Amino acid sequence: MTAFFSGVGVILSLELRQRVRTVSWYILLGVFVGLILIVTVLLSFALNGFGSPNDGGGGVYSTIIYFVLLLGTLVAPALSGNAINGDRDAGTLATTQVTLITTGQLIIGKFLSAWITALAFLIAAIPFLIYAAIVGQLRVSTIVVSVIVLAVELGVVAAVGVGLSGLMTRPLFSIVVTYLVVAALSVGTLIAFTLGGLALQTTAKSVSSYGTEYNADGIPTQCSTPEEYEYQTPRFDLFWGALVANPYVILADAVPTAYDQNDQPTDLFGYFKLSARMAQVPQSAGYESSVCVVGQPEQPSSGYSNARDIIESTTPGWAVGLATHLVLAGVLLAGAWSRTTTPAAKLSRGSRIA
Amino acid sequence: MLNPMTSVKTAHIEPVPSGVPQSGIAVEHVERSFGEVHAVRDASFIAEPGTVTGLIGPNGSGKTTLMLMLASLLKPDVGSIRISGHDPVTETAAVRARLGWMPDVLGSWSSLSVRDTLIYTARMYAMDKTAAAARAAELITLVDLPELADSPTRVLSRGQKQRLSLARALVHEPDVLLLDEPASGLDPVARADLRILVRRLASEGKTLLVSSHVLSELDEMADGAVYISKGVTASAEALARSRASARPWRIRSSDVVALRAALVADGIDEEAIATDRTELLVALESESAASALLARLVGAGVPISTFAPAVGDLEHTFIDLSAEDSK
Repeated sequence: MTAFFSGVGVILSLELRQRVRTVSWYILLGVFVGLILIVTVLLSFALNGFGSPNDGGGGVYSTIIYFVLLLGTLVAPALSGNAINGDRDAGTLATTQVTLITTGQLIIGKFLSAWITALAFLIAAIPFLIYAAIVGQLRVSTIVVSVIVLAVELGVVAAVGVGLSGLMTRPLFSIVVTYLVVAALSVGTLIAFTLGGLALQTTAKSVSSYGTEYNADGIPTQCSTPEEYEYQTPRFDLFWGALVANPYVILADAVPTAYDQNDQPTDLFGYFKLSARMAQVPQSAGYESSVCVVGQPEQPSSGYSNARDIIESTTPGWAVGLATHLVLAGVLLAGAWSRTTTPAAKLSRGSRIA
Repeated sequence: MLNPMTSVKTAHIEPVPSGVPQSGIAVEHVERSFGEVHAVRDASFIAEPGTVTGLIGPNGSGKTTLMLMLASLLKPDVGSIRISGHDPVTETAAVRARLGWMPDVLGSWSSLSVRDTLIYTARMYAMDKTAAAARAAELITLVDLPELADSPTRVLSRGQKQRLSLARALVHEPDVLLLDEPASGLDPVARADLRILVRRLASEGKTLLVSSHVLSELDEMADGAVYISKGVTASAEALARSRASARPWRIRSSDVVALRAALVADGIDEEAIATDRTELLVALESESAASALLARLVGAGVPISTFAPAVGDLEHTFIDLSAEDSK
């Protein structure tokens, strides 16, 4: 086992020196820090973060986390999407494969290197996160969970890049496809969710009645005939799986929510989480609005529960989403392993081994 | 001189006694195709420890595919390969620990220095850092790259990269070395150094297989050769036929007229004597026929200054087999 990891370590260190530690990479990191600085300052003013201790800092924090996720998922494909086929083109893959380094060590080393590189962006953003967390008086659990989920998501993108670079022959294609996967997860899931939900509409029924005569206490003594009417409602509940495959949703959904005295979320992540969870609740059953019962005081509509009830009664979507991402990453890495393993039995068309 | 034969301990040699040889390279009826293309159709040969074997064939004959199968990178469809007694398919790690491969593609980690390239390669063979650094220093001296040791490999010339590639193949002191076009891009001095190094490695008991299509270069360093054409290694019969076939000899004399007259007098058809600048070319059946002719010419008082085969042994066999192939 130690032998395995020392081999992984050799590949990791080689990758970091050969692929990553270049001047252009440091420039990229500098630009990234500059962008975050600008975003932080502007947001602090825009959300009045210095004045109101709660929402300003929380908003800045959520935005910085999302910004790191955005930039990380934009940079990681470029750094990982040619890890294997790029080496083959440069003529350095086969010379590594004839050594005692196994295919597993090679792929894990390359994946770790791509992941660590993407994590460098998260680390560079940490001073800004600390600032926003202090100003926003965020809870430790929010900070820890959001940073961990962010790190895992960057790892997923790194794994997708390395996996595709092993599955495809040409570096340019695998980089582009990695970007397309990132786009599909970030934007495609939202489109699938919205279009899917709207396309599959069902008919829902709503019943309502109201009091026609009241006694002195305001309790109805006679009710109107209940009115039924039917309406079309989208079936978002069938497509919440698409929504939770979105990395931004996963991040918001995973963070433990703090509630105020009205059981409403206190931060931006909490509101995103509430929206995502509400999508799970089927709308097809319809609901009863203002039903009048003789002898009972009129109740306001009971159609909606409060935020806490919704969040606590629905499936934790982040776990489902993260699980799909991990499966995707694992499958692609395994595919790259089987394509890259030597002695090779099958070669894909037009590819060569060295 | 050279004996173009190693190729041929093939099928008709007595079945390999008690299993497989425990050293060197043994290839038996190996085939490999890529879809419709049969790159290697039937390759068999044995390369003994302590010898240098040339792998010779025209472009596209399957040399590189065969090399890749020997280097444990490609799986043969049919047939068996043994490197120091181990099967590259089932005992891959054992083979890799004993095998050094210098590819024909010159890839290097472009931002690493020569020294770091060798250190990383050594560590890929599970050497610890100290041992790897020591081995890298040794190899830098061996392949004569000391002044470039700490420059990034992207600044190396083709010949220097070639030497780095050779050093990389030697990192773990392998028993078997596969060198694919090792001399291409080398200047004459480096080429001579390479020849000396290759011979020294053979004298240390290593098995070397050197592929090249520069036959004069192989002539200088190889003990034997394997001929491959259209994916098939030449059979013993074909090689024997080739050796028996007439080959041109080059004769130079200060008195060309006397030489020509003496040759005609010796019974050689005047039509069959070719003139190449100041030299005459005559086809002779064998070495002994050549010796006899030389003795008669000297006896007849013709002044002879050169009397040698016009083409190297390998080239002769190669051309002969290629001609036979195209028939």
